[in-house]
Amino acid sequence: MKLNSAKPLVRSVDSQASSCAMPATILLVEDEPITRASMAARLKRFGYRVLEIDNGLEALEMARRERPDLIVVDWMMPGMDGPTFCETLRRDPAMKSTYLLLMTARDQPAQIAEGLARGADDFLSKATSKDEIRARVLAGLRTSRLVRELEATAEKLESSLLLLQTKQAEMNADLQSAASFVHSLLPPQGSPIPGIALAWEYQPSLTLGGDLFDVMAIDKDHLGLYILDASGHGVAAALRSAALMTFLRAENILQMLGSYDPERVLFEANRRFPMSADGEYFTLWVGQLHLPTGRLTYAAAGHPGALLCSAEDPSRWLTRASFPLGIDPSAEFASDRVLLKPGDRLFLLSDGIYEVPSPSGELWGRGRFQAVIDAEKLRPLSATVAACFAEARSWQQAQHFSDDAAVMGLALTEYQEEKSHG
Amino acid sequence: MDSPVVLDLSEALNQADGDRDLVITLAGLFLQESPKEVAAARASLARQDRDGLVAAAHKLKGSVIPICAPRLFERAKQLEELGLQGDFAEAEAVCADVERLLAEVHAALRKLIAGGFPS
Repeated sequence: MKLNSAKPLVRSVDSQASSCAMPATILLVEDEPITRASMAARLKRFGYRVLEIDNGLEALEMARRERPDLIVVDWMMPGMDGPTFCETLRRDPAMKSTYLLLMTARDQPAQIAEGLARGADDFLSKATSKDEIRARVLAGLRTSRLVRELEATAEKLESSLLLLQTKQAEMNADLQSAASFVHSLLPPQGSPIPGIALAWEYQPSLTLGGDLFDVMAIDKDHLGLYILDASGHGVAAALRSAALMTFLRAENILQMLGSYDPERVLFEANRRFPMSADGEYFTLWVGQLHLPTGRLTYAAAGHPGALLCSAEDPSRWLTRASFPLGIDPSAEFASDRVLLKPGDRLFLLSDGIYEVPSPSGELWGRGRFQAVIDAEKLRPLSATVAACFAEARSWQQAQHFSDDAAVMGLALTEYQEEKSHG
Repeated sequence: MDSPVVLDLSEALNQADGDRDLVITLAGLFLQESPKEVAAARASLARQDRDGLVAAAHKLKGSVIPICAPRLFERAKQLEELGLQGDFAEAEAVCADVERLLAEVHAALRKLIAGGFPS
Protein backbone atom coordinates (compact mmCIF):
# COMPACT_ATOMS: atom_id res chain seq x y z
CA MET A 1 0.00 0.00 0.00
CA LYS A 2 1.37 3.38 -0.96
CA LEU A 3 1.12 5.71 1.99
CA ASN A 4 2.14 9.02 0.57
CA SER A 5 3.47 10.32 -2.67
CA ALA A 6 5.39 13.25 -3.95
CA LYS A 7 6.80 14.16 -7.34
CA PRO A 8 10.50 13.46 -7.84
CA LEU A 9 12.69 16.41 -6.98
CA VAL A 10 16.24 17.45 -7.60
CA ARG A 11 18.25 16.10 -4.70
CA SER A 12 21.06 17.17 -2.47
CA VAL A 13 22.82 15.05 0.12
CA ASP A 14 22.39 17.24 3.16
CA SER A 15 19.27 19.20 2.58
CA GLN A 16 19.80 21.10 5.80
CA ALA A 17 23.07 22.44 4.50
CA SER A 18 21.45 24.54 1.81
CA SER A 19 18.06 26.13 1.88
CA CYS A 20 17.87 26.51 -1.89
CA ALA A 21 18.88 22.91 -2.81
CA MET A 22 16.08 20.38 -3.15
CA PRO A 23 16.00 17.70 -0.46
CA ALA A 24 17.32 14.20 -0.88
CA THR A 25 14.61 11.55 -1.18
CA ILE A 26 14.42 8.64 1.25
CA LEU A 27 12.11 5.67 0.74
CA LEU A 28 10.97 4.26 4.08
CA VAL A 29 9.69 0.68 3.95
CA GLU A 30 8.11 -0.41 7.23
CA ASP A 31 4.92 -2.38 7.86
CA GLU A 32 4.49 -1.35 11.49
CA PRO A 33 2.67 2.02 11.39
CA ILE A 34 3.92 3.52 14.65
CA THR A 35 7.59 2.92 13.92
CA ARG A 36 7.02 4.13 10.36
CA ALA A 37 5.30 7.31 11.50
CA SER A 38 7.98 7.97 14.11
CA MET A 39 10.90 7.38 11.70
CA ALA A 40 9.24 9.33 8.88
CA ALA A 41 8.67 12.31 11.17
CA ARG A 42 12.30 12.20 12.27
CA LEU A 43 13.65 12.02 8.70
CA LYS A 44 11.37 14.85 7.62
CA ARG A 45 12.62 16.94 10.52
CA PHE A 46 16.14 16.34 9.18
CA GLY A 47 14.89 17.98 5.99
CA TYR A 48 14.50 15.00 3.68
CA ARG A 49 11.66 14.17 1.37
CA VAL A 50 10.26 10.89 2.68
CA LEU A 51 8.26 8.35 0.70
CA GLU A 52 6.50 5.78 2.90
CA ILE A 53 5.36 2.31 1.98
CA ASP A 54 4.30 -0.65 4.13
CA ASN A 55 5.41 -3.65 2.08
CA GLY A 56 8.39 -4.85 0.10
CA LEU A 57 6.73 -5.62 -3.22
CA GLU A 58 5.22 -2.18 -3.70
CA ALA A 59 8.44 -0.66 -2.37
CA LEU A 60 10.35 -2.30 -5.25
CA GLU A 61 8.02 -0.70 -7.74
CA MET A 62 8.26 2.69 -6.04
CA ALA A 63 12.06 2.47 -5.83
CA ARG A 64 12.30 1.82 -9.58
CA ARG A 65 9.94 4.68 -10.33
CA GLU A 66 11.24 7.30 -7.91
CA ARG A 67 14.97 6.39 -7.78
CA PRO A 68 15.33 7.50 -4.12
CA ASP A 69 18.74 8.56 -2.88
CA LEU A 70 18.50 6.10 0.02
CA ILE A 71 16.14 3.36 1.17
CA VAL A 72 15.44 2.53 4.82
CA VAL A 73 13.83 -0.90 4.96
CA ASP A 74 12.58 -2.91 7.95
CA TRP A 75 13.96 -6.42 8.39
CA MET A 76 10.80 -8.19 9.53
CA MET A 77 7.83 -7.63 7.29
CA PRO A 78 5.09 -9.98 6.12
CA GLY A 79 5.41 -11.07 2.50
CA MET A 80 8.78 -9.81 1.33
CA ASP A 81 11.13 -9.22 4.27
CA GLY A 82 13.96 -6.67 4.32
CA PRO A 83 16.86 -8.92 3.28
CA THR A 84 14.80 -10.35 0.39
CA PHE A 85 13.95 -6.79 -0.67
CA CYS A 86 17.68 -5.89 -0.64
CA GLU A 87 18.56 -9.02 -2.60
CA THR A 88 15.87 -8.38 -5.22
CA LEU A 89 16.86 -4.75 -5.66
CA ARG A 90 20.54 -5.65 -6.06
CA ARG A 91 19.67 -7.99 -8.94
CA ASP A 92 18.13 -5.09 -10.88
CA PRO A 93 20.96 -3.48 -12.92
CA ALA A 94 19.28 -0.08 -12.72
CA MET A 95 19.01 -0.26 -8.92
CA LYS A 96 22.06 -2.26 -7.91
CA SER A 97 23.91 0.79 -6.58
CA THR A 98 21.01 2.12 -4.46
CA TYR A 99 22.07 2.67 -0.87
CA LEU A 100 20.14 0.38 1.51
CA LEU A 101 19.83 0.84 5.26
CA LEU A 102 18.33 -2.23 6.90
CA MET A 103 16.31 -1.26 9.98
CA THR A 104 16.04 -3.85 12.68
CA ALA A 105 15.86 -4.64 16.35
CA ARG A 106 18.25 -7.48 15.53
CA ASP A 107 21.85 -6.69 16.24
CA GLN A 108 23.50 -10.08 16.53
CA PRO A 109 26.72 -10.34 14.42
CA ALA A 110 25.37 -13.34 12.48
CA GLN A 111 22.22 -11.42 11.56
CA ILE A 112 24.20 -8.35 10.56
CA ALA A 113 26.43 -10.56 8.40
CA GLU A 114 23.36 -12.09 6.76
CA GLY A 115 21.89 -8.65 6.05
CA LEU A 116 25.13 -7.42 4.50
CA ALA A 117 25.55 -10.60 2.48
CA ARG A 118 22.04 -10.18 1.07
CA GLY A 119 22.62 -6.64 -0.11
CA ALA A 120 22.26 -4.16 2.75
CA ASP A 121 24.84 -1.39 2.98
CA ASP A 122 24.36 -0.58 6.67
CA PHE A 123 22.11 -1.15 9.66
CA LEU A 124 19.87 1.09 11.70
CA SER A 125 18.56 0.04 15.07
CA LYS A 126 14.98 1.00 15.75
CA ALA A 127 15.92 2.08 19.24
CA THR A 128 18.94 4.12 18.20
CA SER A 129 19.48 7.79 19.02
CA LYS A 130 18.55 10.70 16.82
CA ASP A 131 22.23 11.58 16.30
CA GLU A 132 23.11 8.06 15.16
CA ILE A 133 20.19 7.99 12.72
CA ARG A 134 21.26 11.34 11.31
CA ALA A 135 24.91 10.21 11.04
CA ARG A 136 24.07 6.92 9.30
CA VAL A 137 21.63 8.56 6.88
CA LEU A 138 24.13 11.29 6.03
CA ALA A 139 26.90 8.74 5.48
CA GLY A 140 24.56 6.72 3.26
CA LEU A 141 23.56 9.76 1.24
CA ARG A 142 27.20 10.76 0.75
CA THR A 143 27.96 7.28 -0.56
CA SER A 144 24.84 7.33 -2.71
CA ARG A 145 25.82 10.67 -4.25
CA LEU A 146 29.35 9.48 -4.99
CA VAL A 147 28.09 6.27 -6.57
CA ARG A 148 25.66 8.20 -8.75
CA GLU A 149 28.37 10.62 -9.80
CA LEU A 150 30.56 7.66 -10.70
CA GLU A 151 27.72 6.09 -12.64
CA ALA A 152 27.07 9.35 -14.49
CA THR A 153 30.79 9.69 -15.26
CA ALA A 154 30.92 6.08 -16.44
CA GLU A 155 27.93 6.70 -18.71
CA LYS A 156 29.58 9.81 -20.14
CA LEU A 157 32.83 7.94 -20.64
CA GLU A 158 31.02 5.09 -22.34
CA SER A 159 29.20 7.42 -24.73
CA SER A 160 32.45 9.31 -25.41
CA LEU A 161 34.18 6.02 -26.10
CA LEU A 162 31.42 4.99 -28.50
CA LEU A 163 31.70 8.34 -30.26
CA LEU A 164 35.47 7.97 -30.47
CA GLN A 165 35.14 4.43 -31.80
CA THR A 166 32.69 5.63 -34.45
CA LYS A 167 34.99 8.48 -35.44
CA GLN A 168 37.97 6.12 -35.41
CA ALA A 169 36.11 3.70 -37.68
CA GLU A 170 35.26 6.55 -40.07
CA MET A 171 38.85 7.72 -40.02
CA ASN A 172 40.15 4.21 -40.61
CA ALA A 173 37.77 3.82 -43.55
CA ASP A 174 39.03 7.14 -44.95
CA LEU A 175 42.64 6.07 -44.43
CA GLN A 176 42.03 2.72 -46.10
CA SER A 177 40.39 4.49 -49.00
CA ALA A 178 43.33 6.92 -49.26
CA ALA A 179 45.81 4.01 -48.99
CA SER A 180 44.02 2.21 -51.83
CA PHE A 181 44.23 5.36 -53.90
CA VAL A 182 47.96 5.78 -53.23
CA HIS A 183 48.48 2.10 -54.05
CA SER A 184 46.72 2.63 -57.36
CA LEU A 185 49.31 5.30 -58.21
CA LEU A 186 52.20 2.83 -57.97
CA PRO A 187 53.38 1.18 -61.19
CA PRO A 188 51.89 -2.17 -62.25
CA GLN A 189 54.15 -5.15 -61.60
CA GLY A 190 55.34 -7.52 -64.34
CA SER A 191 56.25 -5.88 -67.64
CA PRO A 192 54.63 -2.46 -67.54
CA ILE A 193 56.86 -1.19 -70.33
CA PRO A 194 58.55 -3.18 -73.13
CA GLY A 195 62.15 -3.96 -72.20
CA ILE A 196 61.52 -3.79 -68.49
CA ALA A 197 60.49 -6.29 -65.81
CA LEU A 198 59.25 -4.81 -62.56
CA ALA A 199 58.59 -6.15 -59.07
CA TRP A 200 58.12 -4.24 -55.86
CA GLU A 201 56.95 -4.49 -52.32
CA TYR A 202 55.86 -1.65 -50.10
CA GLN A 203 55.14 -1.82 -46.38
CA PRO A 204 54.01 1.52 -44.87
CA SER A 205 54.60 1.83 -41.13
CA LEU A 206 51.08 3.22 -40.79
CA THR A 207 48.04 2.82 -43.05
CA LEU A 208 49.41 5.57 -45.26
CA GLY A 209 53.09 5.85 -46.06
CA GLY A 210 55.44 8.60 -47.18
CA ASP A 211 57.44 6.53 -49.69
CA LEU A 212 56.36 6.56 -53.33
CA PHE A 213 58.04 5.34 -56.53
CA ASP A 214 57.27 5.04 -60.20
CA VAL A 215 58.57 3.94 -63.58
CA MET A 216 57.12 5.66 -66.62
CA ALA A 217 57.69 6.01 -70.32
CA ILE A 218 59.00 9.46 -71.17
CA ASP A 219 59.09 8.85 -74.91
CA LYS A 220 59.66 5.80 -77.08
CA ASP A 221 63.33 5.55 -76.04
CA HIS A 222 63.40 6.82 -72.48
CA LEU A 223 62.11 5.69 -69.12
CA GLY A 224 61.81 7.95 -66.12
CA LEU A 225 62.07 6.38 -62.68
CA TYR A 226 62.25 7.66 -59.13
CA ILE A 227 61.76 6.85 -55.51
CA LEU A 228 60.92 9.53 -52.97
CA ASP A 229 60.89 9.34 -49.21
CA ALA A 230 59.08 11.97 -47.12
CA SER A 231 60.36 12.50 -43.59
CA GLY A 232 57.77 11.51 -40.97
CA HIS A 233 54.95 9.02 -41.36
CA GLY A 234 51.22 8.86 -41.75
CA VAL A 235 48.70 11.13 -43.40
CA ALA A 236 50.82 14.32 -43.45
CA ALA A 237 53.79 12.54 -45.05
CA ALA A 238 51.50 10.78 -47.53
CA LEU A 239 49.84 14.02 -48.60
CA ARG A 240 53.21 15.72 -49.13
CA SER A 241 54.45 12.68 -51.06
CA ALA A 242 51.36 12.68 -53.27
CA ALA A 243 52.02 16.34 -54.09
CA LEU A 244 55.61 15.58 -55.08
CA MET A 245 54.48 12.52 -57.04
CA THR A 246 52.07 14.70 -59.01
CA PHE A 247 54.94 17.05 -59.76
CA LEU A 248 57.11 14.13 -60.93
CA ARG A 249 54.55 12.83 -63.45
CA ALA A 250 56.10 12.57 -66.93
CA GLU A 251 53.61 14.93 -68.59
CA ASN A 252 54.22 17.58 -65.95
CA ILE A 253 58.01 17.36 -66.09
CA LEU A 254 58.08 17.30 -69.92
CA GLN A 255 55.79 20.30 -70.09
CA MET A 256 57.88 22.15 -67.54
CA LEU A 257 61.43 21.10 -68.42
CA GLY A 258 61.21 19.49 -71.88
CA SER A 259 63.01 16.33 -70.68
CA TYR A 260 63.34 14.04 -67.65
CA ASP A 261 66.94 15.05 -67.03
CA PRO A 262 67.50 14.06 -63.37
CA GLU A 263 69.65 17.11 -62.61
CA ARG A 264 66.97 19.48 -63.77
CA VAL A 265 64.16 17.50 -62.20
CA LEU A 266 65.88 17.66 -58.80
CA PHE A 267 66.76 21.33 -59.21
CA GLU A 268 63.15 22.20 -59.91
CA ALA A 269 61.77 19.92 -57.20
CA ASN A 270 64.20 21.45 -54.70
CA ARG A 271 62.94 24.90 -55.62
CA ARG A 272 59.26 23.96 -55.40
CA PHE A 273 59.31 21.79 -52.29
CA PRO A 274 61.06 23.71 -49.52
CA MET A 275 61.40 22.27 -46.05
CA SER A 276 58.08 22.66 -44.21
CA ALA A 277 57.59 24.95 -41.22
CA ASP A 278 57.80 21.95 -38.92
CA GLY A 279 61.04 20.71 -40.49
CA GLU A 280 59.71 18.01 -42.83
CA TYR A 281 61.53 17.37 -46.10
CA PHE A 282 62.04 14.79 -48.88
CA THR A 283 64.86 12.67 -50.13
CA LEU A 284 64.59 11.75 -53.81
CA TRP A 285 66.43 9.59 -56.32
CA VAL A 286 65.62 10.20 -60.00
CA GLY A 287 66.86 8.30 -63.01
CA GLN A 288 66.38 8.39 -66.77
CA LEU A 289 67.09 5.24 -68.73
CA HIS A 290 67.84 5.32 -72.43
CA LEU A 291 66.44 2.00 -73.55
CA PRO A 292 68.34 1.60 -76.86
CA THR A 293 71.74 1.96 -75.17
CA GLY A 294 71.00 1.04 -71.56
CA ARG A 295 72.47 4.34 -70.42
CA LEU A 296 71.13 5.33 -67.03
CA THR A 297 71.50 8.92 -65.91
CA TYR A 298 70.71 9.48 -62.28
CA ALA A 299 70.93 12.02 -59.48
CA ALA A 300 69.96 12.00 -55.83
CA ALA A 301 68.87 14.56 -53.25
CA GLY A 302 69.87 13.20 -49.86
CA HIS A 303 68.76 9.75 -50.90
CA PRO A 304 70.93 6.76 -49.90
CA GLY A 305 70.86 5.51 -53.48
CA ALA A 306 69.84 2.75 -55.81
CA LEU A 307 71.64 -0.58 -56.02
CA LEU A 308 72.81 -1.90 -59.38
CA CYS A 309 73.23 -5.64 -59.61
CA SER A 310 74.67 -7.31 -62.69
CA ALA A 311 75.17 -10.99 -63.40
CA GLU A 312 78.96 -10.76 -63.68
CA ASP A 313 80.02 -8.00 -61.28
CA PRO A 314 79.38 -7.34 -57.60
CA SER A 315 76.48 -5.01 -56.97
CA ARG A 316 77.21 -1.33 -56.39
CA TRP A 317 75.38 1.72 -55.05
CA LEU A 318 74.41 4.48 -57.44
CA THR A 319 74.43 7.69 -55.45
CA ARG A 320 76.52 10.63 -54.40
CA ALA A 321 76.40 12.78 -51.27
CA SER A 322 73.86 15.60 -51.50
CA PHE A 323 71.35 17.57 -49.48
CA PRO A 324 67.73 16.45 -49.24
CA LEU A 325 65.19 18.55 -51.11
CA GLY A 326 64.27 21.93 -49.67
CA ILE A 327 67.31 22.48 -47.47
CA ASP A 328 69.14 24.88 -49.79
CA PRO A 329 66.91 26.56 -52.42
CA SER A 330 69.89 27.21 -54.71
CA ALA A 331 71.37 23.70 -54.45
CA GLU A 332 72.35 21.90 -57.63
CA PHE A 333 72.38 18.14 -57.99
CA ALA A 334 74.98 16.60 -60.21
CA SER A 335 74.08 13.52 -62.20
CA ASP A 336 76.10 10.40 -62.94
CA ARG A 337 75.84 7.87 -65.73
CA VAL A 338 76.16 4.15 -65.95
CA LEU A 339 75.52 1.61 -68.71
CA LEU A 340 73.08 -1.19 -67.97
CA LYS A 341 73.20 -4.47 -69.82
CA PRO A 342 70.32 -6.83 -70.47
CA GLY A 343 69.81 -8.90 -67.37
CA ASP A 344 71.08 -6.17 -65.07
CA ARG A 345 68.88 -5.33 -62.15
CA LEU A 346 68.36 -1.98 -60.52
CA PHE A 347 66.84 -1.71 -57.05
CA LEU A 348 65.30 1.54 -55.84
CA LEU A 349 64.68 1.44 -52.12
CA SER A 350 63.89 3.49 -49.06
CA ASP A 351 66.12 3.35 -45.99
CA GLY A 352 63.19 1.88 -44.03
CA ILE A 353 64.00 -1.54 -45.51
CA TYR A 354 67.47 -1.79 -43.98
CA GLU A 355 67.33 0.55 -40.97
CA VAL A 356 65.61 -2.10 -38.92
CA PRO A 357 67.02 -2.99 -35.50
CA SER A 358 67.37 -6.47 -34.11
CA PRO A 359 65.93 -7.03 -30.62
CA SER A 360 69.40 -6.16 -29.26
CA GLY A 361 69.36 -2.85 -31.17
CA GLU A 362 71.82 -3.67 -33.98
CA LEU A 363 70.72 -2.34 -37.39
CA TRP A 364 70.37 -4.73 -40.30
CA GLY A 365 72.13 -2.17 -42.52
CA ARG A 366 72.89 -1.57 -46.18
CA GLY A 367 75.58 -4.23 -46.27
CA ARG A 368 73.26 -7.06 -45.32
CA PHE A 369 70.60 -5.76 -47.71
CA GLN A 370 73.17 -5.73 -50.50
CA ALA A 371 74.26 -9.27 -49.57
CA VAL A 372 70.68 -10.52 -50.00
CA ILE A 373 70.44 -8.83 -53.42
CA ASP A 374 73.69 -10.51 -54.49
CA ALA A 375 72.76 -13.88 -53.10
CA GLU A 376 69.36 -13.77 -54.81
CA LYS A 377 70.53 -12.45 -58.20
CA LEU A 378 69.69 -15.68 -60.06
CA ARG A 379 66.20 -15.96 -58.63
CA PRO A 380 63.14 -14.29 -60.17
CA LEU A 381 63.01 -10.56 -59.51
CA SER A 382 59.88 -10.76 -57.37
CA ALA A 383 61.48 -13.50 -55.26
CA THR A 384 64.54 -11.29 -54.70
CA VAL A 385 62.37 -8.39 -53.54
CA ALA A 386 60.38 -10.71 -51.29
CA ALA A 387 63.62 -12.11 -49.83
CA CYS A 388 64.72 -8.59 -48.82
CA PHE A 389 61.54 -8.13 -46.80
CA ALA A 390 61.72 -11.64 -45.35
CA GLU A 391 65.32 -11.12 -44.19
CA ALA A 392 64.53 -7.68 -42.72
CA ARG A 393 61.56 -9.10 -40.82
CA SER A 394 63.61 -12.02 -39.62
CA TRP A 395 66.32 -9.63 -38.40
CA GLN A 396 63.93 -7.42 -36.43
CA GLN A 397 61.85 -10.47 -35.41
CA ALA A 398 58.67 -8.55 -36.22
CA GLN A 399 56.34 -8.31 -39.18
CA HIS A 400 55.66 -4.61 -38.83
CA PHE A 401 58.21 -2.00 -39.93
CA SER A 402 58.73 1.08 -37.77
CA ASP A 403 59.47 3.18 -40.88
CA ASP A 404 57.97 2.99 -44.36
CA ALA A 405 59.83 0.29 -46.26
CA ALA A 406 59.86 0.07 -50.08
CA VAL A 407 61.93 -1.86 -52.62
CA MET A 408 61.32 -1.56 -56.36
CA GLY A 409 63.33 -3.99 -58.51
CA LEU A 410 63.70 -3.34 -62.21
CA ALA A 411 65.39 -5.69 -64.70
CA LEU A 412 66.36 -5.02 -68.29
CA THR A 413 65.00 -7.73 -70.53
CA GLU A 414 66.04 -8.72 -74.07
CA TYR A 415 63.66 -6.16 -75.53
CA GLN A 416 66.41 -3.59 -75.50
CA GLU A 417 68.57 -5.82 -77.66
CA GLU A 418 65.72 -6.40 -80.06
CA LYS A 419 65.10 -2.69 -80.31
CA SER A 420 68.73 -1.82 -80.84
CA HIS A 421 69.06 -4.46 -83.58
CA GLY A 422 65.82 -3.47 -85.20
CA MET B 1 15.92 0.59 42.15
CA ASP B 2 12.53 2.01 41.13
CA SER B 3 10.39 -0.15 38.90
CA PRO B 4 10.09 1.29 35.39
CA VAL B 5 7.16 3.58 34.79
CA VAL B 6 4.23 2.54 32.58
CA LEU B 7 4.94 5.33 30.12
CA ASP B 8 8.13 7.43 30.00
CA LEU B 9 6.65 10.58 28.50
CA SER B 10 9.84 12.54 28.85
CA GLU B 11 11.77 10.02 26.77
CA ALA B 12 8.91 9.73 24.24
CA LEU B 13 9.01 13.49 23.80
CA ASN B 14 12.79 13.39 23.50
CA GLN B 15 12.57 10.70 20.78
CA ALA B 16 10.05 12.87 18.95
CA ASP B 17 12.52 15.76 19.14
CA GLY B 18 10.10 17.67 21.37
CA ASP B 19 7.21 17.36 18.94
CA ARG B 20 4.19 16.93 21.24
CA ASP B 21 1.74 16.61 18.36
CA LEU B 22 3.75 13.72 16.99
CA VAL B 23 3.68 11.92 20.35
CA ILE B 24 -0.11 12.38 20.48
CA THR B 25 -0.39 11.05 16.91
CA LEU B 26 1.78 8.04 17.78
CA ALA B 27 -0.30 7.42 20.89
CA GLY B 28 -3.50 7.35 18.81
CA LEU B 29 -1.90 4.97 16.33
CA PHE B 30 -0.73 2.72 19.14
CA LEU B 31 -4.21 2.56 20.66
CA GLN B 32 -5.51 1.52 17.26
CA GLU B 33 -2.81 -0.96 16.20
CA SER B 34 -1.48 -2.66 19.33
CA PRO B 35 -4.65 -4.67 20.16
CA LYS B 36 -4.33 -6.33 16.74
CA GLU B 37 -0.82 -7.55 17.54
CA VAL B 38 -1.73 -8.81 20.99
CA ALA B 39 -4.74 -10.60 19.51
CA ALA B 40 -2.46 -12.09 16.85
CA ALA B 41 -0.03 -13.26 19.53
CA ARG B 42 -2.85 -14.80 21.53
CA ALA B 43 -4.23 -16.59 18.44
CA SER B 44 -0.75 -17.89 17.56
CA LEU B 45 -0.34 -19.23 21.07
CA ALA B 46 -3.69 -21.02 20.77
CA ARG B 47 -2.54 -22.85 17.66
CA GLN B 48 1.07 -23.14 18.89
CA ASP B 49 2.29 -21.19 15.85
CA ARG B 50 5.88 -20.17 16.60
CA ASP B 51 6.36 -17.94 13.56
CA GLY B 52 3.06 -16.20 14.12
CA LEU B 53 3.86 -15.60 17.78
CA VAL B 54 7.33 -14.25 16.99
CA ALA B 55 6.01 -11.95 14.25
CA ALA B 56 3.22 -10.53 16.43
CA ALA B 57 5.47 -10.05 19.49
CA HIS B 58 8.20 -8.49 17.32
CA LYS B 59 5.78 -6.06 15.76
CA LEU B 60 4.32 -5.11 19.13
CA LYS B 61 7.83 -4.63 20.54
CA GLY B 62 8.77 -2.32 17.64
CA SER B 63 5.61 -0.26 18.07
CA VAL B 64 6.32 0.25 21.78
CA ILE B 65 9.74 1.87 21.12
CA PRO B 66 8.46 5.28 19.97
CA ILE B 67 5.96 5.64 22.81
CA CYS B 68 8.47 4.54 25.45
CA ALA B 69 6.61 2.02 27.59
CA PRO B 70 9.59 0.20 29.15
CA ARG B 71 7.80 -2.60 31.01
CA LEU B 72 5.62 -3.45 28.07
CA PHE B 73 8.69 -3.38 25.81
CA GLU B 74 10.55 -5.86 28.03
CA ARG B 75 7.58 -8.21 28.20
CA ALA B 76 6.96 -8.05 24.43
CA LYS B 77 10.65 -8.78 23.88
CA GLN B 78 10.41 -11.74 26.27
CA LEU B 79 7.36 -13.02 24.44
CA GLU B 80 9.23 -12.86 21.12
CA GLU B 81 12.18 -14.78 22.59
CA LEU B 82 9.88 -17.45 24.04
CA GLY B 83 8.27 -17.75 20.66
CA LEU B 84 11.68 -18.26 19.08
CA GLN B 85 12.38 -20.96 21.68
CA GLY B 86 8.94 -22.53 21.17
CA ASP B 87 8.25 -22.33 24.90
CA PHE B 88 4.48 -21.93 24.64
CA ALA B 89 3.80 -22.72 28.33
CA GLU B 90 5.96 -19.82 29.56
CA ALA B 91 4.73 -17.69 26.68
CA GLU B 92 1.14 -18.09 27.94
CA ALA B 93 2.06 -16.46 31.22
CA VAL B 94 4.07 -13.71 29.57
CA CYS B 95 1.29 -13.04 27.07
CA ALA B 96 -1.09 -12.50 29.97
CA ASP B 97 1.41 -10.00 31.41
CA VAL B 98 1.61 -8.28 28.04
CA GLU B 99 -2.18 -7.94 27.94
CA ARG B 100 -2.23 -6.50 31.45
CA LEU B 101 0.58 -4.05 30.74
CA LEU B 102 -0.96 -3.09 27.42
CA ALA B 103 -4.17 -2.14 29.28
CA GLU B 104 -2.08 0.07 31.62
CA VAL B 105 -0.30 1.70 28.69
CA HIS B 106 -3.58 2.26 26.86
CA ALA B 107 -5.03 3.94 29.96
CA ALA B 108 -1.99 6.20 30.25
CA LEU B 109 -2.17 7.07 26.57
CA ARG B 110 -5.87 7.88 26.71
CA LYS B 111 -5.15 10.16 29.64
CA LEU B 112 -2.39 11.82 27.65
CA ILE B 113 -4.60 12.34 24.62
CA ALA B 114 -7.42 13.70 26.75
CA GLY B 115 -5.36 15.89 29.05
CA GLY B 116 -2.21 16.63 27.19
CA PHE B 117 1.30 16.66 28.59
CA PRO B 118 1.71 17.39 32.28
CA SER B 119 3.14 20.82 32.77
